[in-house]
This record gives sequence, C-alpha cells and structure tokens, in this order.
Amino acid sequence: MPQPLSTREANLFRTVIRHYEDKQYKRGLKAAEQILKKNPKHADTMSMKALIMNAQGKTDEAFALAKEALTIDMKSHICWHVYGILYRTNKNFDEAIKAYKFALKLEPDSQQIQRDLAILQIQMRDYQGYVQSRLVMLKARPQLRQNWTALAIAYHLEGNLKQAETILSTFEKSVTTAPSKTDFENSEAVLYKNSIIAEAGDIGRALEHLEADGNNNLDRLAVMELRARYLAQLGRGADAAKAYRALLDRNSEHPDYYKSLIEALGISKDDEDSQKAVYDEYAVKNPRSDAARRLPLDFLTDENFKVAARAYLNLMFDKGVPSTFANLKHLYSDSFKQTTLPALAEEYLNEHKSTGGEKEHANGDSSKGEGAALYFLAQHYNYFMSRDLTKAMAFVEKALELDPKNVDFHMTKARIYKHQGDLEKASVAMDEARSLDTRDRYINSKAAKYQLRNNENDRALQTMGLFTRVETAGGPLADLIDMQCIWYLTEDGEAWQRRGNVGLALKRYHTIFNIFDIWQEDQFDFHSFSLRKGQIRAYIDMVRWEDELREHPFFFRAALDAIKLYIAMHDKPQGPNGVNGTGGSGANGGDVAEKKKAAKKAKKEAQKAEREAAEKAAKQDPNKTTAPKSKDVEDVKKKDDDPTGLKLVATSDPLGDALKFLGPLLQFSPRNIEGQIAGFEVYFRRRKYMLALRCLKAALALDKDDPRVQEQAVRLRKAVDPVLASLAPKLQEVIGLTFASGASS
Amino acid sequence: MDIRVLRPSDIPLIQHANIENLPENYFLKYYLYHALSWPQLSYVAVDVSRPRKTPYDYPKIVGYVLAKMEEEPADGVQHGHITSLSVMRTHRRLGIAEKLMRQSQLAMVETFGAHYVSLHVRVSNNAAIHLYRDTLGFKTEKTEAKYYADGEDAYCMKLELSFIRESLHEGPRAIVAADKDDAEKAKGDDEDGAAAEAGEDVDEGEAVGDVGRDPDAKKSAPKKKKEEVKIKVGRGLGVGELVEKNEAKHS
Ligand SMILES: CC(C)(COP(=O)(O)OP(=O)(O)OC[C@H]1O[C@@H](n2cnc3c(N)ncnc32)[C@H](O)[C@@H]1OP(=O)(O)O)[C@@H](O)C(=O)NCCC(=O)NCCS
Repeated sequence: MPQPLSTREANLFRTVIRHYEDKQYKRGLKAAEQILKKNPKHADTMSMKALIMNAQGKTDEAFALAKEALTIDMKSHICWHVYGILYRTNKNFDEAIKAYKFALKLEPDSQQIQRDLAILQIQMRDYQGYVQSRLVMLKARPQLRQNWTALAIAYHLEGNLKQAETILSTFEKSVTTAPSKTDFENSEAVLYKNSIIAEAGDIGRALEHLEADGNNNLDRLAVMELRARYLAQLGRGADAAKAYRALLDRNSEHPDYYKSLIEALGISKDDEDSQKAVYDEYAVKNPRSDAARRLPLDFLTDENFKVAARAYLNLMFDKGVPSTFANLKHLYSDSFKQTTLPALAEEYLNEHKSTGGEKEHANGDSSKGEGAALYFLAQHYNYFMSRDLTKAMAFVEKALELDPKNVDFHMTKARIYKHQGDLEKASVAMDEARSLDTRDRYINSKAAKYQLRNNENDRALQTMGLFTRVETAGGPLADLIDMQCIWYLTEDGEAWQRRGNVGLALKRYHTIFNIFDIWQEDQFDFHSFSLRKGQIRAYIDMVRWEDELREHPFFFRAALDAIKLYIAMHDKPQGPNGVNGTGGSGANGGDVAEKKKAAKKAKKEAQKAEREAAEKAAKQDPNKTTAPKSKDVEDVKKKDDDPTGLKLVATSDPLGDALKFLGPLLQFSPRNIEGQIAGFEVYFRRRKYMLALRCLKAALALDKDDPRVQEQAVRLRKAVDPVLASLAPKLQEVIGLTFASGASS
Repeated sequence: MDIRVLRPSDIPLIQHANIENLPENYFLKYYLYHALSWPQLSYVAVDVSRPRKTPYDYPKIVGYVLAKMEEEPADGVQHGHITSLSVMRTHRRLGIAEKLMRQSQLAMVETFGAHYVSLHVRVSNNAAIHLYRDTLGFKTEKTEAKYYADGEDAYCMKLELSFIRESLHEGPRAIVAADKDDAEKAKGDDEDGAAAEAGEDVDEGEAVGDVGRDPDAKKSAPKKKKEEVKIKVGRGLGVGELVEKNEAKHS
C-alpha cells in the first residue's frame, strides 16, 4: 500500500515528478530529500529519487535504492513501475516487462502501466502478449479508433490476418457518420486494411475493396500502384495497361512501370521493336526523361542497340554529363555491348575533335563533349570488366589537358592509381581532387577514404574535420560517431587493424555494433507515435525492417572484421598495450619489435590528431557553440572510459568476445559464406565441434567448391576422428554424412 | 536510375548518402521520423543495375530527397519543406535531383494539401540554386544571415504549388473511376480545401525523442525552436498520470 503523506509533502511529491519530467534533476532531488527527511522510509519517494539518479547516470545507486524501496513497500505499484522503468532505460526489457506486470497486478486499471507494458511487448516482439495488452486497452477505451487499429496491428504482426481485418471492419461498421475525405486516419486505415487483404492473397477482393473504398484516398500514388498491380495479377491486361500508363504519366523514371506496362500489353520479350515503341512514346512525352531513353539499351541487341546507344551517348556527351558511364556500366555483362560502347565513344571523339590549337578555351562548349567522351573512355578502361589501366590513364590525362581543374577527372585518376595498387599516389591524387572543390563534401569524403586506405588515419580525420560540426565536444571523431557515420568508422578500424593497433580497431567495430543497438532502440518511440500519426503501413514496414536490421552489409562488414581480429588475437596473444602483429596479411614476416614501434607511433598520431581536433573545436567562436539548451536541463552523456580500446584488447577471452559479433552474423546473414567460414574458425578453436560442423554444413551448401571450406572439412575431421568413436551414434552419423557430401579429403 | 518513394529499409544508405554529400547530418531516428510521419513525401534514386555481391545487398541509394510538412506553419498555410536533398557526385547531372523534387512536390499537394514548398540553400551553392530557381521555378524569399553552422548565409526559397493543384483539378478526380467512367470525373469537390485540412487533423502527439540535429533547428533563433524534436521523458513514462491517480485515492 502506498504510504500516506501529509498534504504539504504530497504536494512536494508532485513537484518531484514535475522536476523529473522537466529534466530538472537537481531540483527534483532536493524536493525528494525534503520528503525523506520527514519520512525516511517513504518508498514511493525513494523510487522517484532512484528514477532521477538513473537519469543522472548513476545507474547502480539507482537500482540499489529502487530495490530498497521495493523491500519496504512491495505493494506499491509506483515502486514496481519505477523498477520497470529502470530496467527499461538500461535495456533489460525482459526484466522490465516482469516489473510492469507486477505493477499492473497491483493497479490493474492503470492505463499508463498497461501502455508501457504494451510498448515493451511489441518492442520485444512478444506478439501474444501485445495482443492481450491491446485487447485490454481496447476494452478500456473502445471509442478511440487508435485502439482498434492497434489491436489489428497486433494480430497482423502475429500473423493472424483474418482477425486483423475483422477488427478493422468492426470499427468501420460502428461508425455511423461517413468519415470526411480529409480524415487522414481514415484514409490510411482503408489502405492498411487493403494491404492486409492483399497479404492474405485474396487479390480479387483486394481490388474490389480498393475500387469501393479507395477513391479519393489521400495517398493517391499508393492507390494507383496497388490497383495496377492487382489488375495485372488478375490478368486484366487492358485495364492494367491503362493503370500503368497513368503511373508513367506521373513518374517516367520508374523502370517497373515500363516493364509492367509491356507485360500487360502482352508484348513478347523478343519483340524489341514493340518494346522500344513504348519507351519512345514516353521519351517524346517527356523530353527530360532519362529512363525512357536509357532503358531500351538493356534489351536491344545488335544494330538496334548500336543505333540507340549512339543516340543516347551523343545526347549525354553533348550535354557534357560526366555520370554517363555510371549510368551504363551495368550493360557490360553483355560482351557485345561492352565492345560497342567504347567504340561509339571513340566515334564521337573523332567527330568532335576540338579543331583549334591544343589548348583553346579550357571550358569552352566545344570541349565539353570531347571531355565527356574522353572521361567515359577513361572510366571504361578503369572498370573491372574492361580494365586496361594504361589506357585508362592515357584517357584521363587527355581529358585533364582539356580541363585541368576538373574534379571528376582527378577523382578518376585517383581511382586508377588505386587499381594499380599504388595507394599512396591514389591518396595524393584524391586529395588533389578535393582541393579543387573544397565546398563539396562528396569529394572531401572520398579524399578521407583514400587516406584511410593508405593507412593515414590522422590525416583522414583532419580531412573529415573540414566538414564535421565544430561545436561537437570531442572534435571530428565524436561528431562522426554521433552522426553514426558507419563507413568512416569501418574504414578507420580496418586501417588501424592493418597498422597493428588492435585497440583502436576493436574500438571502432564495437562502436558500430553499438550504433546498431541504437538503431534497434530507435523504433521504441514509434510504437505509440505511429498510432497517433496514423501512418500504419509505414510503421509496419519499419517493424519488419527492424526485425532484419543486422543483416545490413554495414553490420556484416564490421562484425566480420571484428571476428577475424579476435581470432588473430587468440592465435597470437598480444603485448600489454594492445599492440601486436595481428594486423595485415602482409605483416607476417615483420619483426615484432619493429611492429610494436610502428603501432606505438600510430597510437601517438591518433592521440595527436584527436588532441588537435579538440583544440580546434575549443577555439571556435563562442557565440556559435552548442545547441540551445537551458542551463537547468542536465543532460548526462556517459563518458567513454576506454577511448583507445585498451580494455577491449586486455580481454583474456578473445574468442568469447567474438561471439557477440558472430551471433547476429549467423542469425541474420546465414546465406553469406564468409560468415559461416568465420563462424567455423571461432567454434573450432573453442572446440565446439557441433557448432563448427553446423557452419561447415551451411558453407558447403552455399559453395561446396570453396577451397577454404574444403580445408575446414579436412581440419574438422582430423580433430574429431580420435574422439569420434566416443560420440553418440547419432552424432557420428551426422558428422560422417557431412564429410561424405562435402569435401572428401 | 529508379526514382521511387522511400522505404524504411533504405534509411541507412540514405543517411550514408547524406553524410557523404552534405555537412548537415542527422541521426537515423530523424529519418525514421520523416518516413513515419510523411511517408509519401520522401523519394530515393536507386542504382538498380548494380550486380549483387551478397544475398543481403540493399538497394544502392545514389540520391534522395527528405521532405516533410511544416508542423506548425507560422503563416497558418499548409506547406512542405525540404529537409535535405543530395545526389552522389558520380550520378550528378543526370536529372535525378530534379525528378526527386518533382515527385515530392506532387505528393505534398495530393496527400497533405500543401500550398507551397520551402527550403534553405547556401548562397554559394550554384548547382543547387540553378536547380531550384531555373529548373524548378523557386523564388528567393529572403536571405538569412549566418544560417549555417559555419557562418554562411542561406537563401530562403519558396515555390508556389498552385500549378500542381490546378493540374489535379483538370485531371480526373477519382483515381479508381478514372478510366472506367470519365464522366464521373471532377465532380467539383474542392480538393484544395479538403486536402489542406487533412494535415491539421492529424494528431501530432508526442515527439519521438532526440532525433538528430536539424539545421533548421539550429542555434538561438527562437522561431525555429518548434522544429526541434525533443523527447518528453516524464509523460512518456507515465509517472505523472500514476500519481494523479494515487492522490485521488487519498483524497
Ligand atoms: C545540387 C544537387 C542535388 C543537384 O543534383 P543533380 O541530380 O546533379 O541535379 P540535376 O541533374 O537534376 O540538375 C538540375 C538542373 O541543375 C543544373 N545543375 C546541376 N548541377 C549543376 C552545376 N554543378 N552547375 C550548374 N548547374 C547545375 C542542371 O544542369 C540542371 O539544369 P537544367 O534544368 O538547365 O538542365 C547535387 O549537385 C548535389 O547533391 N550537391 C551536393 C549536395 C547539395 O548541395 N544539396 C543541396 C543542398 S540545398
């Protein structure tokens, strides 16, 4: 039972809460202390105090106090609720759910606790629990449409499409006045219901529903797209064609519309002329359309291709478009196209040779086309499918003669150096390109990337610092971490790894790991926000994407890097300061002392760069620093107690640490063979042979000819052979089968 | 390139394109906030022709426009705002930015009844200014001194969207009936008024937390404060409501 307070103190208690809500933590604490002076064992106040301390970052003390409060008053729902909140803010969602459930038992009518519980349930994807919670909430307030929609969402995500639709329909029927056309919530609810009907596979009914209720929908594009798709799926070609034409009139840059239109018209894949005619129609209609002109190049062959490609190239070159190659390189999987395109570019060059002396006006119009064609050829010879780096360099030099200060030309020159394997020259050349347009962040980013590829971590950070926010305390690196700049963190980590600085490399990979945690956590607020906003389909999309969040290549790359590094640490334990030879592959023969020296130097450089950046940040105009924050609002940002990763390096169990990365890797990207191969290496070293075997089997299924997998099979067999006889027969059988189907040594 | 509406799963690579191209950056959550508030308004350009490297490749985003509706328009007029627009340098001058912008503008009118769209651009950004002013028809409203974090001025630009509203009136009103029965079209409902109200009815509810730094929410300028999205911790956690109940019991 909540302990009673005097009126004065009850008022004070309310102030505590208000201060907490306004993030006025110091004042909140002060008020709490005042209550506790008179009522030292007032559990609810103690809980509130704990909540405030938690917000101030004093997690351990907060938990201790909240526990104490609970032991004093086990029957206070406030204590339980606060306890749940503590767990929730410290991301222990399972415990938070338990605490909320206790609170709810004590205070079954609290909509607030019920809501908090529901949000956690959906966050944790406890669909059944979520359905239960939403049922309760609907019963409490059935007049709110949101509550009906939310229950439908719960059923939908649980996989119960029928029930989801029923719930939506029940609400619709309960409404007596027709919703206004401007009722956004209603407009979206119609399309949400439609998506459920379609997801259940009943396309006929989905179309019917759309035609009956979708008219005047505020999301016009969605209705048009859905309708076109349903018509096509139902085989109503003529209607589908009309619908796709209407879509192309809106957006002639969406390849799917063309393809669907052509299908709906029943044009055969071999009928190039009829297909081309469709595209031509839209090219004429939309003089600025790129897709209508370019897409036919995908399917045209022989002379048809040549004619169309010539027209397209001439158009692009005449405009001096430098991105022409990027727009066409996918055609190179066809060898005829691969040889035709450069020939056409040469042809264009011959026709458009600048007539005058060598260096007429560098940027003159006549040279625009020539420059673009030369540039196209340089990229052609730089592309992996048609690579001839000498020729590539020759063309880019010629282009540079025409336009010596062209950023794109210089950028490609740097790329050519990179492909030649000269990372140093590449870095210098990219920086040269950067210096020609210091306002463009793209070229700045590329320069930093090339510096990282050349292991110049410090310079790269300086380069990045030209565009990061100067106000961010901690300098450019802190800003890049804040802004979740994955590519930089990955490249920086890999460069440190090559340089033998295990600490900083691990640090970066862990930072990326944490960013993905943040991204997962980011959905939290939207569970309630989206219900209020009413954008349900977008919300469902988000939930489903979040479910697969860590399959993203951003995660995979950093995780694989980390695992490989941990394996290397295990194989070759390192010195005390996080420095060892587990770096680059080429570092094998190097002398240990020398490597240590290099790593030490690298560390010094890193510190220097960070220091300089911080100094630069400190020098900034004081008028411009920091966001508008009232002084009273205390924002607690946890300080990094291991900025150089030394603690990470000090691990006694690198393979155990690797599991943190390996788990999600195998869970979310099982069809990526690199993950399976790395998984084998970790488990094999940990002597978890069944788990190693599982990775091996998965890898064999993906590519049984991969020599690395074959070698692993041999290694595993050697390791288990001596113990095989002692294993259960079932295991023997499984293992035997795998070896038989895979690489028989 | 494929120009299509944004999906939540595009966001990591949109964020990547943004930080690659522009100095004004945001947390992933700020993109989510756009995608879940005005999913119709943001578009991406995707390089669909890239060969797949793994079974988990994500569509390569080479350009995006991130757009929103102004939540509390100072002038009381529903309008859209371009939060961010950029195209990878390797894909510039192909008309991508123009097409992204046009799709977004159309949706602003259709879905949210926008009367105009506004944006800020650095006074030195010739490429963008050319795009907005010459290609798309934006007008410069005013110059805002030292708008950007590094002290550069911004042009405040604005494009009236009446031309889209008018073309919608001319075209068939009903989407579905359009090609079934042309006589049904244009019943004369006032679409402008209708859609314009739509946005106002939407319950904004609570903000979604600290979602990154909107350059528009930058610095002291008080009028921009509303664009800053801040988490409301207390009420979100519900302690306030709990206590009100608690007191009721005692009284
Ligand atoms: C500004 C930017 C988005 C333009 O993207 P884009 O896809 O290349 O633009 P488009 O191809 O659609 O070009 C539209 C028009 O602008 C013109 N344009 C584009 N780049 C130009 C340049 N560098 N100089 C002059 N005009 C340029 C085009 O010629 C075209 O004009 P047209 O109507 O006369 O044919 C791109 O340059 C970019 O991402 N820059 C960096 C980020 C940025 O500045 N974003 C804008 C912030 S407000």
